[in-house]
Amino acid sequence: MFKSEPKTILQFLATHFDLLRQLFEIQVKNEIILKGQLVSTLKEFGNDIENQLFEHKLLVEQNDDYVINQPYFVLFEFILQQFKPLLPEEIEKFGQSIRALFLNIKDDFENDKNLLLERIEALSSEIKKFRDAVTNNTISLLNESRELKANTGKIEYQEKVQKARYLIEYYIIPLNAILDLNHSQSIYNELLAISQFSNNKRFDYSDESIRRQFEKLYNLLRQVVKDISQQSTILSNELLPLLDRIKTESEYLQGFIFYLTNMNCYKEIKPPMLFNTTRDNLYNPYIYENTKEYFEQFKNEEDVFIEEEPTDVEQWIFNKSEYKSKLNSKLPVTDFFSWCKAAIENEKVDFDIDSYFMVTSLIFEEEYEIQQDEERQSISIKTKRGEFIMPKLQINQIKNVSE
Amino acid sequence: MYPNKHKEIVTSLMDGKFITIDDSTFDILNENQEFYLEYFDKSFGFELKNTQEFYYLISDETNENTSRDISIFFSILCYELDKDGKNFMDELGYSDFHIDEIVDYIKSSTWTDVVKANNQLKDTDSIKRLVGSTMLKRNIAVKHSDDKYSFTKAYRLFIDFARELIKKETNEANA
Repeated sequence: MFKSEPKTILQFLATHFDLLRQLFEIQVKNEIILKGQLVSTLKEFGNDIENQLFEHKLLVEQNDDYVINQPYFVLFEFILQQFKPLLPEEIEKFGQSIRALFLNIKDDFENDKNLLLERIEALSSEIKKFRDAVTNNTISLLNESRELKANTGKIEYQEKVQKARYLIEYYIIPLNAILDLNHSQSIYNELLAISQFSNNKRFDYSDESIRRQFEKLYNLLRQVVKDISQQSTILSNELLPLLDRIKTESEYLQGFIFYLTNMNCYKEIKPPMLFNTTRDNLYNPYIYENTKEYFEQFKNEEDVFIEEEPTDVEQWIFNKSEYKSKLNSKLPVTDFFSWCKAAIENEKVDFDIDSYFMVTSLIFEEEYEIQQDEERQSISIKTKRGEFIMPKLQINQIKNVSE
Repeated sequence: MYPNKHKEIVTSLMDGKFITIDDSTFDILNENQEFYLEYFDKSFGFELKNTQEFYYLISDETNENTSRDISIFFSILCYELDKDGKNFMDELGYSDFHIDEIVDYIKSSTWTDVVKANNQLKDTDSIKRLVGSTMLKRNIAVKHSDDKYSFTKAYRLFIDFARELIKKETNEANA
């Protein structure tokens, strides 16, 4: 029982609405109002109304803390149009009671007039609750999705994607199934069946009071079916595309993050192919940019460090005088290039080109006379890196050069 | 007989420009797509690529540095627009940006290492040149009065590319 007059309570609500709204927001966020939060809110608004809050049964104790009394909470939700989205299971329960009541009405039709009347009333009441739950849910899901889209809470990207996925998976897709016009088991289709049934019975029943009840039910359903269909349209035309877009954006953002993270963009990821302009005139207005672009394609923006591996190979040093004396002792040599190969192989097992050419440089020494083979024969020297075809050259000491 | 505005189409594409759905030559290209595919292939060995919103040429030789600069530019800009609570798809598609606004987004970005490593993004003048010259001449950006720029539909090439990276990653992970 209230000690206060109803008008006094409503007056109280109006006078202290901002304070009450703040308490409502606290409860929406935390599901409970801590004692400390109540004290600081009262202090913030400079109001000493703690007693009235309990007197008007606005707040009820929950252990050492408080919650807003359920009827007031629903009122605030309604006037602020700020509903907590219902899980599909919570909506589906209305569907179950609607189905059960309708089945009972159909099966137990002729037995008890009063029971039938009460069942029709109960069915109307459940249908209204279902309609309100769906409407409120669509409003709250739409608000949440829009806030998410605009990122009003400035939440981090990962959290945003997670929240969008959560809304889609647990609320929107199941709600869509409940309202799906094309699904024979959806509550929407159940309502259509009830509407058709009550339309028949409002003309086809012996008792007038029951006919009137069916008439009322039929009129209610006409409105409800219209409302639900509207909610379904909002869902498929606005909510689903909105969330689909959040999902698409999240794919893009994931792509950007992947591309930029860890300097991946400078590594092996090739950007889209872009036409390389090659034709240019000096009077082209973009000649500066084109020239810059041209040169930049050869520029590697990454600093490349080349670490040379320490070599174990011992550096071979060409001992010119030693090879010269070897050559002199064999003169005349009929095939100079083959002699060079044999001489170097005599000293090192691994024949390599660099060493070979160092030895062949003896040919430029002044004291030697070079003659090409009379038959102009060529010789071939094979190495690991290829084959050298060279002329067959005879080498002799020039006679008039003093020793 | 060549299609109408043939010279303009060929010159634009050979200058590395994107021809987008908002350009008057787009419809001509669209109507004569088969002809132009063959024309560029047979005459120059270039490939004419298209989406529903733009046409562009590619060849064996790609301008990798410029493409990478532009890809990084859009990745950072979109990321920062989203962080700012803006819808980057709508913003890129329908909004004008003052050049200082663009510069601010890039310079105040948290991707500092990426920005610093990029010659076209590391300072104000370079960013202005990237948007005001490089992207302008390729018809990726359009200049308006008061130093304002908007982006043509060509921006999608560079952001769709980033989206594809994730799809590839996901497919590879599932394989």
